[in-house]
Amino acid sequence: MKKKNIGAPIVMLIIIIYMLIPLVVSIIYSMFDKWTSIVPEGFNLENYKTLFTDPAFLATMGRTVLMCIIPIFVTIIIVLLALFVTTVYFPKLEKYVQLICMIPYTIQGVILSVSILSLYVSSPTFLSNRLVMLFGAYCIIILPYIYQGIRNGMRAVNMPMLLEAAEMLGASKMYAFFKVIVPNILSAIIVSSLLAVGIIFGDYVLVRNLAGTSFQNMQIYLYQTMKSDSTKSSAVFVVIMMVTFIITAVVLFLKSREGKQHAEMKAKVKE
Amino acid sequence: MKNRKYIFLLALVPFLLVAFLYEIIPLIMIVINSFQPDAGGGFTLENYQTVFSKLLYRKAIFNSIKISLTSAIIGIIIAFFGAKAAHQHGGKLNSVFMTVLNMVSNFAGIPLAFAYMILLGNAGFMVSVGKELGIEALANYNLYTTSGMSLIYVYFQIPLSTLLLIPAFEGVRKEWKEACTLLGGGQTTFWTKVGVPVLMPSILGTFSVLFANALAAYATAYALMMNNISLLPIQIAGCYTGEVKIRTGLGGALSVTMMIIMIIMIFITNGLSRHFQKGVARK
Amino acid sequence: MSYIRFENIVKNFGRNEVLKNINLEIEKGQLVTLLGPSGCGKSTLLRCLAGLETVTSGRVYLDGKDITDVNPKDRDIGMVFQQYSLFPNMTVEQNVAFGMKMKKVPKEKIAAKTKEMLEIVGLGDKLKQYPAQLSGGQQQRAALARAIVTEPKVLLLDEPLSAIDALLRHSLQVEIRRIQKELDITAIFVTHDQDEAMVMSDVIHLMYKGKIDQSAKPTTLYTKPETKFAATFIGHYNVLSGERFAKICGEKIDSDDIAFRPEIIQISDKPIESENCYQMKGHISVSLPHGNILRYAVDCGGEQVDVDVLFTGTVPFETHTDVYLSVKKDQCIYL
Repeated sequence: MKKKNIGAPIVMLIIIIYMLIPLVVSIIYSMFDKWTSIVPEGFNLENYKTLFTDPAFLATMGRTVLMCIIPIFVTIIIVLLALFVTTVYFPKLEKYVQLICMIPYTIQGVILSVSILSLYVSSPTFLSNRLVMLFGAYCIIILPYIYQGIRNGMRAVNMPMLLEAAEMLGASKMYAFFKVIVPNILSAIIVSSLLAVGIIFGDYVLVRNLAGTSFQNMQIYLYQTMKSDSTKSSAVFVVIMMVTFIITAVVLFLKSREGKQHAEMKAKVKE
Repeated sequence: MKNRKYIFLLALVPFLLVAFLYEIIPLIMIVINSFQPDAGGGFTLENYQTVFSKLLYRKAIFNSIKISLTSAIIGIIIAFFGAKAAHQHGGKLNSVFMTVLNMVSNFAGIPLAFAYMILLGNAGFMVSVGKELGIEALANYNLYTTSGMSLIYVYFQIPLSTLLLIPAFEGVRKEWKEACTLLGGGQTTFWTKVGVPVLMPSILGTFSVLFANALAAYATAYALMMNNISLLPIQIAGCYTGEVKIRTGLGGALSVTMMIIMIIMIFITNGLSRHFQKGVARK
Repeated sequence: MSYIRFENIVKNFGRNEVLKNINLEIEKGQLVTLLGPSGCGKSTLLRCLAGLETVTSGRVYLDGKDITDVNPKDRDIGMVFQQYSLFPNMTVEQNVAFGMKMKKVPKEKIAAKTKEMLEIVGLGDKLKQYPAQLSGGQQQRAALARAIVTEPKVLLLDEPLSAIDALLRHSLQVEIRRIQKELDITAIFVTHDQDEAMVMSDVIHLMYKGKIDQSAKPTTLYTKPETKFAATFIGHYNVLSGERFAKICGEKIDSDDIAFRPEIIQISDKPIESENCYQMKGHISVSLPHGNILRYAVDCGGEQVDVDVLFTGTVPFETHTDVYLSVKKDQCIYL
């Protein structure tokens, strides 16, 4: 009955190739002078050299990193605090927290950005600052991912049991939560933060609508070089993709390690 | 002791502050704005009248629904076979498959549009190949239309939908396949009579995610066409960031329309999925 | 020629030899059990008959035909799995009708037969229910109905009751046996539970490490185990090496191993004088009540011997007392 099913590998191969073609073509494109016929001509890595010596590009890199770190940090803190209160003291409130956290998942970038923009653009306070709006919007857009990551982590470590155990040993609830639960779900927090980095890193719509082109992140930079110099932009493209891939690879690695640990733990429990 | 518990509600304050400032109030305001003239104040349905009477916006709604439906349908079909293949075939190829899908799942927006311009733009690689080999479909491919762009939308739907469907396939039990075989049914019978109906709630759920994903996609279309295409997200953003003054009323009405389209789709898929869930135990 | 015949069946999973040259014959109309601990190959052997696994070498015959290379869907075999085998998107009725639909049986006949079969398994009122709405026991009844409604040549039951709680399991055992006899079905039952095998089978094939260890009627298997494994797996025999036993009782033993059941041992706090018996002296280390018997673990010169005493309300011996054991020579089994 175990016939070697060759259909499945073929389907997977076709999808893999289809997914990789645009990437491969763009990478080749970035490394040659000219590509007008089938075979590209004039291999060189000039594009990368100019890119990494361009101060504007390096500043963009720095700015993008900064824009990732602050909102992610803020979001993790507020979600952890909110989940501490709701899971430990007010379980009835949890579904509202969940609702608030999941709304951004359906409304997504465009509506979120224009609604924030129209609300604060003429405010006389600091809220009209474009960067403040952008950070706020980033906090919201990554909310579903951070929330789910932390919540799943709590579920995986069986939080109620751990909390009770810590309390029986004389720890306060707050101490137990932040000193026992949080360290145990650290890898879940890291994984969801990395997913959030991926989202902010790939964001174009929020930064364009809220900050305009004055505040450049990588995507805006790519968009602008795209219009002027397509081979240089292909190098920017490759850099963006590399960063994205590294983030994904780290996420995959952490997840598989976590999966292994869980499997081992389960195996031990069974014994 | 009981009152002390309420002190901890303070820890909710930062969360609520951020949520209200940047999610809840803005969303409420955009709904309110949609019923007000651009200048603010008063109540009017004028904005909605504009949305549904002006050809530009009607076309935007139509195009958005069209591209979202097509890309979601094609995406879910490919994802079904992809996830089925991944479910049936383990080993090295499977892990390569999963890695590639995860890698390209973040590949969207501007970079994706850029890659497709190199691939299928006016002087794109595939277009040159098409010209050289005389493949009309490739040589004359026009990326800069709604249907031309569908290909890009399909591209970013595939990894997302496949990754969402793969876990569902784990719920398809080996025993069902074996029982089906022994009762005289082949592979096709199994998938049409048992496999697909059992997976239907997951398929529909994924479908509605895909639809929303395409409906809200902005960067890809903008990178290719700037503001020169009638799609809802582009028109919405145009109301706030165009050269002319901000039109909060119209933008609000368009945003609300888009949200309603999403909600309708969620209702439809939920309703259908309840139909399929009848007999399946809900966890 | 027998109804089902396995001939030199070998099955390897990679380097792992799961079935090592199995030869087995099964008569028509019987319910036989493949009994053994998990990993002994019993389920694999069953699946080889169903065609869900291919054999590495050897032939399988059913009703006079070589079916080794026949597609499983054309083998005409019914099977009940451990659990969760009902199609969750279909009602009980649709599940049972599925096989007949595949065989293109006329509609009216399908409806009538489905109803009749569900009556037989006691689910006459559950036609329109979905599997998720049934209890585990009801699900297995429905699975049984689905497997036998097409009147297959043989019914395979792969640990169908192991996921069901003990109380219900007994009534289902009796019921499966009743239906099997009533409809005169040839059935192969796989289980790791020796009590279940005892209750249900015409013949038990005890399997161990990919081989048939012993094939016999239930009572014979209980009273006359032929191997050390059979003695320990069935009936909880005390099995001691001949050499060790000789030292304990001070008599000469010819065989490699000696086995005797715990309930045939006489136990007393004084030396027992009787003819043709092995005598042992020991020390009770543990005593455990097992329902209507008390089981003593007696330490006889470093070897543990289990002794069962009928528990009638009084505890005859306390733990940590010295006792004398005696067992009749002709009731021992020499392996």
